[in-house]
Amino acid sequence: MELIDKIKQIYPELTTEDFSPRGTIRLQNDSDGKGDYIAKWEHPTLARPTEEQLA
Amino acid sequence: MGDIVLAGSTSGTTTLTPAAVSGTTTLTLPASTGTVMVNGPAFSAYANAATSLTNGAFTKISFQVEDYDTNNNFASSRFTPTVAGYYQVNAATSIAAGTTAELSMAVYKNGSGHKQGSDFITAGTQYSQTISTLVYCNGSTDYIEIYVYIAAASKSTGTGDNSVWFNGAMIRGA
Repeated sequence: MELIDKIKQIYPELTTEDFSPRGTIRLQNDSDGKGDYIAKWEHPTLARPTEEQLA
Repeated sequence: MGDIVLAGSTSGTTTLTPAAVSGTTTLTLPASTGTVMVNGPAFSAYANAATSLTNGAFTKISFQVEDYDTNNNFASSRFTPTVAGYYQVNAATSIAAGTTAELSMAVYKNGSGHKQGSDFITAGTQYSQTISTLVYCNGSTDYIEIYVYIAAASKSTGTGDNSVWFNGAMIRGA
């Protein structure tokens, strides 16, 4: 399951728009083999998921 | 008259050498204070292997092959110029055919989004995106990379020197 799917599972109210270039959440992959991570979380009401929630 | 040799303020010299031509050649300097730029760094690279993209994320594009790299400032898909100044950078990518997707590119500076390009949603058989901007680099620690955003699962970039590329050049000194 990709990171965006894990986050949407935690917060079903989030949409693709929230992760778009115009959104308040930025997921990033540096193509270094370490996978995706949350580079920016500026959602006005939802808290950034913890590592435990995303595991 | 031959060379003009200027002594440095601390050590060393700067030599001005006239071109070996007959007749008169005139060099006029601008009426302003600044540093004269001589052949700043330039590079061009492209991808010969696809970069796997993640749905809903910005993914760094890998460029494995160099067309040229005049100052050896391009490595690991990253441009780190060693001369301070203003750089024009350009990039393009293509995405293989598939489902509807939103596609956008970004110029990253020092690991963070610096300039965002246009984005569009399309269901075409193949789509491409380009980005171009000016960016200042300090000549030591600043580096530039290219990322692509896509909102579709199981996608990857295309390959080829005419479709997935990254180039740039210094256009003005610091």
